Amino acid sequence: MIGVSRQQLVSLSVFAALAIGWEILASVYTVEAQPGEPMVAGWGTLFTRTLLSLSDYWQGGFGVPAVADGAARSYPAALLSIISHSLATLSRLASGLMLGGLFGLALGLAVSWSPWSRRLVQLPTQFLRALPLLAMVPLFQLWFGTYFFGQVLFVSYGVGVIVFAGVVNAVRTIPQIYIDNARVLGASRSHLYRTVILPAILPAMRSVVLLSLGAGWGAVLAAEYLGAQSGLGYIIVYAQQFGLLDRMFLIALLFILYTSASYWVIERLFTRLLAWSPSSQATNQ
Amino acid sequence: MTTDSSRRMIELVHLARNYTRADGQRVSAVDDVSLIVPEGEFVCLIGPSGCGKSTLLQMIAGLVGPSSGAIVVDGKEIDGPGRERGMVFQRDSVFPWMRVIDNVEYGLKCRGVAAGARRDIARDYLKRVGLSHVERAWPRELSGGMLKRVAIAAVFANGGEVLLLDEPFGALDYVTRRQLQEVLLDLWEEPGRAVPTVVFVTHDVDEALLLADRIVAMRNGGIVDDIAVGAARPRDTDTLLLPDMVAIKHTLLGHLGLAHAARAPAGERGAA
Repeated sequence: MIGVSRQQLVSLSVFAALAIGWEILASVYTVEAQPGEPMVAGWGTLFTRTLLSLSDYWQGGFGVPAVADGAARSYPAALLSIISHSLATLSRLASGLMLGGLFGLALGLAVSWSPWSRRLVQLPTQFLRALPLLAMVPLFQLWFGTYFFGQVLFVSYGVGVIVFAGVVNAVRTIPQIYIDNARVLGASRSHLYRTVILPAILPAMRSVVLLSLGAGWGAVLAAEYLGAQSGLGYIIVYAQQFGLLDRMFLIALLFILYTSASYWVIERLFTRLLAWSPSSQATNQ
Repeated sequence: MTTDSSRRMIELVHLARNYTRADGQRVSAVDDVSLIVPEGEFVCLIGPSGCGKSTLLQMIAGLVGPSSGAIVVDGKEIDGPGRERGMVFQRDSVFPWMRVIDNVEYGLKCRGVAAGARRDIARDYLKRVGLSHVERAWPRELSGGMLKRVAIAAVFANGGEVLLLDEPFGALDYVTRRQLQEVLLDLWEEPGRAVPTVVFVTHDVDEALLLADRIVAMRNGGIVDDIAVGAARPRDTDTLLLPDMVAIKHTLLGHLGLAHAARAPAGERGAA
């Protein structure tokens, strides 16, 4: 236990050192991007003026009027602004992960299901995998619009490609003995997939899901940079247009918080799902 | 045991299996094997590694298709695995993502047996193999011998008429192996149900002598000998010292390529 708390102490010190380093940098490097807008904003500025300025993105509601309607900036408005734009981003991400995950899984399993399903799936998916994700943003915009559906579709595409490749690879490495055992015990093909293939690929899917989560965050930001009217990516692009570096930095910090939390949730989920797995697989990686 | 039964349970008709190796050479793993196993007989297949005994067993299980010839089980030519043929593998085949009892229930669940009924059957067989106390454990918490007991319980719970075992105890220590041989025989001879027909692949001569009604020796993909083992059951280490058994042992050692350890063959019926 002492060793653990010592490790935590080291981690915390590094964290504190980084924060202090940033503050020192802010006080030493006082160049401004534009009058009143420092290149490096100190913590004091970030959590007062910058935070307040996020009220600008609040559309109004819940008894807190929007700045655009003539109201003064306020912390409630800033907080509501953060919550509503975060929810917009998170709902796009979650829907995209769900949709892309399901499609990637289904297509990945189809490769091993039968010779026919393999022929149907393999070539088209090769094409899809070869397309560079970011190059597809404008095309997706024009095809599917800049609204929720188009953004979700873009995220699910980015996620689905990774999940597909991961599933195909994971299925390939399942020990034959489990499949043989299920077959001699009388499992039908659908039963085999439900009770053997799916659980057997789970340990390998842990890293695949973490990878696709990273791609999902990237994809949802990319989708919001281009044409969304809400979301954290929208705030970053909007702030960039006016050279508001402090706001961009605050949103970036928020992102670190969210991505870390999402990785933590996935890790916890898999630790639970893999309770059966030998501990080397369940706790490492 | 019930070799007097005339019902043919397993019939292999001119069975052959060829492979093409990575270097392009054709290899004949099983070459023109014909064999009839009556219902309830315990047959051991013995032979040096690479003689085709495991391939033969996998073909009877339906996991590997024959290149030519046919396999008839209980009057029907087989085409793939079937519930009536249970199999115990050498490597650990117990699903690590299912608790012990769920593993034992697996085959019953595949058949759609109701949850309550299959739990009762699984509990019964877990008790018979001495694993009632680990019913809710994960397989990773079990030893190699215990995992083998789970695999045996799962196969017997599934109620097949034919039992195929592919060097099931080959990776276990001597004591565990002897214990499991007894567990297997107890289940095989279990009163109140039809005695399953067993094909047991092994490379261990003593194991074959302890278990089998009949020992079939293989070499280079073919059957080279077919010996009836008449000794009464239950057998123990002293049974192995009976003159008939010693003679069979010498014959088998000769077939395994250990001629220097063997004397003149006796008590055999010649190649099939």
